[in-house]
Amino acid sequence: MDNFQPPGENYANPRTCLFHVLFKAAALAFYILSALFFNSFVIIFVVTVFLAALDFWVVKNVSGRILVGLRWWNEINEQGESVWKFECLDQESLSRMNKKDSWLFWWTLYLTAVAWIVLGIFSLIRLQADYLLVVGVCLSLSIANIIGFTKCRKDAKKQIQQFATQTIASRFTSTIQTAFSVV
Amino acid sequence: MSHGDTIPLHPSSQSDIDEIESLINASVQAGPATVLPARPPSPPRASIPVSPSPFIASNLPPPPAYQKAATAPPPPPAPPVLPVSDAQDGRRQNIGSAGFGPPPNTLTEPVWDTVKRDLSRIVSNLKLVVFPNPFREDPGKALRDWDLWGPFFFIIFLGLTLSWSASVKKSEVFAVAFAVLAAGAIILTLNVLLLGGHIIFFQSLSLLGYCLFPLDVGAMICMIKSNVIIKIIVVTITLVWSSWAAYPFMSAAVGPRRKALALYPVFLMYISVGFLIIAID
Repeated sequence: MDNFQPPGENYANPRTCLFHVLFKAAALAFYILSALFFNSFVIIFVVTVFLAALDFWVVKNVSGRILVGLRWWNEINEQGESVWKFECLDQESLSRMNKKDSWLFWWTLYLTAVAWIVLGIFSLIRLQADYLLVVGVCLSLSIANIIGFTKCRKDAKKQIQQFATQTIASRFTSTIQTAFSVV
Repeated sequence: MSHGDTIPLHPSSQSDIDEIESLINASVQAGPATVLPARPPSPPRASIPVSPSPFIASNLPPPPAYQKAATAPPPPPAPPVLPVSDAQDGRRQNIGSAGFGPPPNTLTEPVWDTVKRDLSRIVSNLKLVVFPNPFREDPGKALRDWDLWGPFFFIIFLGLTLSWSASVKKSEVFAVAFAVLAAGAIILTLNVLLLGGHIIFFQSLSLLGYCLFPLDVGAMICMIKSNVIIKIIVVTITLVWSSWAAYPFMSAAVGPRRKALALYPVFLMYISVGFLIIAID
């Protein structure tokens, strides 16, 4: 999986895409279908939450990097304050990113959160607090990723704009200086 | 002579300047201009790989990149550059950008490497919080690299152990244990914040989760031996251990007059979990 993919309409990183979707789908499927097979809430809880946590980790550390070139994390600096760091690839590579990859990335991210919300509403209607707990945990994991990546993307756009203006400014000044030195 | 670029170039001869200049022009979208001024007198810690800058030359594996950043000589092929938005604290960010660095390295960086790094962070956090070590008195340093994976595993483990030990109502026990611990950690953190303490939300959650480790051990022992006396003794010991682990962080976060207010709920929570462990049969 590297950035130098052949041009085309296919996914550039099929394996990463697969993993990106795999754990989300597995968590949702297990949650929905498990009532048919397992009586024990504990198993349902642990497995679903575990799959959701795995998915969170995969999206944050692997597919975010590979599919859209974004990464976010939190640090605590010397003064003891918490700082959110966002990282993105430069403009060149960003434009080289496969469109299908990033489409898949963003859409599955949003759709999963919506699916969990719907399931949460169901369990609310049925007044099942335990299942609401499961849904709550999975939902918070999805939302955390959504917020992180959205902020990261906005940050990337802002940075690119700053680059652009500053580059233009510096080239402009250098052009003027050259003009003056020639004259 | 340079074309009056405002980009601070490294000390170099004329040919180097030309080479660098051509690279700048070639990869102008990479915007080296903004990244360099962003960290002017940068100590080598801050390792933003910038295309004209030395860092990219490295297809170095992460550990060396951790240390040096800006010293290797230029001619890089300008693989994708990673501008970081506020790049002041180089120490931890090295892990991030080194993990992210020259992409061929980190994209193929086996996921296994990331896993290993996260696992080792859990272990080191655990050692910092629960076992005696010189950093305990300084909460700012001790749990600097907080993470929530450790607490997650510990809470789940505790819930599972309690559930397994219970002969009836296993699901309720699990759900209650998990909900109490999770909600308890959040509420305790809010408590400290409302008392005017200086604590970071996730750091505190992380801390309270790691302090569950002794209770996990206690619960496991109680699962194996079900003599009540032994249970009481074991739970008391682990309870004291947990409280001792949590004490420095919580007390340092609030002013001296409010220490008891901040600490009392923590002890209460651990005591109630302890009772849960004892009472399960």
